[in-house]
Amino acid sequence: MSFLSVEGLKKHFGGVKALDGVSFSLDKGEVHALVGENGAGKSTLIKILSGVFPHDEGSISFGGEAYQPANPHEAKELGVQVVHQEFNLLDHLTIAENVSIERMPRSRFGVLDRREMNRRARMALDAIGLTDIDVRAPVSSLGIAHRQLVEISRALQFRSKILILDEPTATLTERETSRLFDIVAGIKADGVTVVFVSHHLEEVFTICDRVTVFRNGKTISTDKIEDTTPEGVVQKMVGRELLANDRVDAQQLPKGEVALSVKDLVTTANPSGKGVSLELHYGEIVGLAGLVGSGRTEILRGIFGIDPIVSGKIFRDEKPVRFSGPRDAIAAGVGFVTEDRKDEGLILDMPISANISLANMGAVSSSGLLQFASEQRRARESGQKLKLKYGKLSDPVSSLSGGNQQKVVLAKWLSRNPKVLLLDEPTRGVDVGAKAEIYAILKDLARDGVSLLVVSSEIPELMTLADRILVLAEHQIQGVLTPAEFSEENILKLAYGQSQTGGDKLQ
Amino acid sequence: MTSQTMTEPVPAQARLSVRSVLQNAGIGLALLALILFFSVFTEHFLTPNNITNILTQITINLVLAVGMTFVILIGGIDLSVGSVMAFAAVVAGKAITLPGFGPAEAIALAIVAATVTGVACGIFNGVVSAYWALPSFIITLGMLNIARGAALQVSDAQTIYSFPFAFEEFGSSMVYGVPVVFLVALLLVLVAWFILNFTVFGRLLYGIGNNEEAVRLAGHPVFWYKVAAFTICGFTAGIAAIVYMARLNISSPIAGIGFELNAIAAVIIGGTSLSGGRGSVIGTLLGAFIIGVLANGLILIGLSDFMRQMITGVVIIIAVVLDYYRAKYTSK
Repeated sequence: MSFLSVEGLKKHFGGVKALDGVSFSLDKGEVHALVGENGAGKSTLIKILSGVFPHDEGSISFGGEAYQPANPHEAKELGVQVVHQEFNLLDHLTIAENVSIERMPRSRFGVLDRREMNRRARMALDAIGLTDIDVRAPVSSLGIAHRQLVEISRALQFRSKILILDEPTATLTERETSRLFDIVAGIKADGVTVVFVSHHLEEVFTICDRVTVFRNGKTISTDKIEDTTPEGVVQKMVGRELLANDRVDAQQLPKGEVALSVKDLVTTANPSGKGVSLELHYGEIVGLAGLVGSGRTEILRGIFGIDPIVSGKIFRDEKPVRFSGPRDAIAAGVGFVTEDRKDEGLILDMPISANISLANMGAVSSSGLLQFASEQRRARESGQKLKLKYGKLSDPVSSLSGGNQQKVVLAKWLSRNPKVLLLDEPTRGVDVGAKAEIYAILKDLARDGVSLLVVSSEIPELMTLADRILVLAEHQIQGVLTPAEFSEENILKLAYGQSQTGGDKLQ
Repeated sequence: MTSQTMTEPVPAQARLSVRSVLQNAGIGLALLALILFFSVFTEHFLTPNNITNILTQITINLVLAVGMTFVILIGGIDLSVGSVMAFAAVVAGKAITLPGFGPAEAIALAIVAATVTGVACGIFNGVVSAYWALPSFIITLGMLNIARGAALQVSDAQTIYSFPFAFEEFGSSMVYGVPVVFLVALLLVLVAWFILNFTVFGRLLYGIGNNEEAVRLAGHPVFWYKVAAFTICGFTAGIAAIVYMARLNISSPIAGIGFELNAIAAVIIGGTSLSGGRGSVIGTLLGAFIIGVLANGLILIGLSDFMRQMITGVVIIIAVVLDYYRAKYTSK
């Protein structure tokens, strides 16, 4: 029986239709997935349900009554809780203080009742199985995964009827994700309805009962999980069939000369003291797999001259080089698409064109003076090449969707025609359609002879892209897999440092 | 999300300047309203004499604020400009009164001495705060004391005077009623505007204010750019010292106390964000005018200097609140 139902919901922001006819329903005690590309309307719907802003047209009924919360507080009172993508925790306060922040217990004189606060926090954490955490510790002492769980426990203590999880696994490792899923299963068993927003279809198919697909502000369909397949869902999300991946022809290309190699490289970020060695050939995509914390990003940062090198050597075209900073690495034809585009990749408030030319100012200036016409032309050309979707080149990058922002980062580096391109999580937070486009761009680059080193937490992504996959654990390469040996199982075994199965153990 | 691939009919730079014009338009309108208000309610506000007065009064603050704009754009602040100005003035005062030079040489020597002193202090501020990634607030607070102490030490806490007549003439000369020293300040504004809008250096200063790490990872020597911004600020403090000497015909080691706050106020009222990355030197020009017009007009209207100070304070707060809304609406 439906418990919350939404009929023909519409929402405009100025001239932009954010929601253009959304209808779906939630059953009591189900886990219901909302999927769709970025900008398809999921976030807007969540904000309406949680009382951030009202809808324009359509109706929502919740428990048989019309539902239109005036503000987030009212939504919470009615039992609708959201755990947001970005954490809303106060780092320097204790876990208990964070859990109780919305309703601090007070003793008779209006003074904070610390004991009661800690007791409630203890109960809240115990309820989701976090018995091993001290509620008096500051939030800053927790890892990302635990912070998320603390948020969930905070949301749950108010007898929630509906718990909305917005991209809860985006920053979690697989092990942490599976713990989260156990907790979700427990919540569901208590009769709470869980709404699960995710880009990861495998997760949707693991824990959800039903899935609703959004596209362009409309709901396309709601299916029971057992009646559909990941491919079917993707097709509905994109509205077309994705190109089957073309890894076969990539295989037939002969490998080029060694573009860059690293021998026994140890950076200040590598605690083990044992070095890493690897070789990148022209025209090849090498994948770098491993759990979070296994030292993947650190290798890229070491090569690019960001983290100081303790020992070991880097060779570019077989000649030893020493990069004392990104400037030297760039001069040697190396580019680095960083993991965090908001903190390291883009200047969000600056125009798209300015971001594209950021690493190549020489090409858009002469004797220090900016040549605006040539900057525009180059930006327009690379925009076309990468199928960038934008309004105007003078718009700030922050106006673009995640996938298009990532394309701007790529464009920035491609404008230098790099010979070696390092990429850290090139499709994080990018929707399915843009992902496929980025894969195509990277493969084209390899075909043109560029040497690529790709770090990714998504194993299927590496298996689609790479010609070889190196698996890291504890800052050491545990093995190298060739395409014939590619499987999640082989990669995970090496990543957990368990066995040599399927890979040539190095050294 | 109604974006689509299409070609650009108008060059983005044109739009960019349209946007910055619109941003400045609000400040310009506020200034216009003030001018209108004082013209209507006071008899002497809009007279040639008074206009000359205002231009003279805002010159030093405008010169300091131009340099301050560079530092604030990269997310820094320079609290030392008032003291550095006094230090530079004292050093230049010593130079200009050295025996054995003709007036022309003495003046040239003074200009070199003032700018070199200012630049040296700026380099120190920039190198120390950028190399150790320390808050420039603290480093320049240190420099505020160092430079003030140095000014007192060098001058023996005495005011230096009896400069060449030509120097005094320069300080009080006019072109069509416009003080030449104001024209110097205006020239600085134009040069700064050009640097910030049309050079790679200027573009990257905005970039550093927005996202230093992204600029660094794109291979730019962020350290030197930051040092350069502080150096420019020190340079304008040196220029301000010369203007000050030429106008008053003295070098006092206790000159310029609190000038840094007025310069910061002009920058902020002019719409430059204290967190860096957003703003313009044209805004700073308007901001300096708003402060100057308020000071002048409120006195003419008969308010005490204390009231003037309170009202200036209120204007600064209004400017920052308006900036909050502007940031909110331009980012959404």
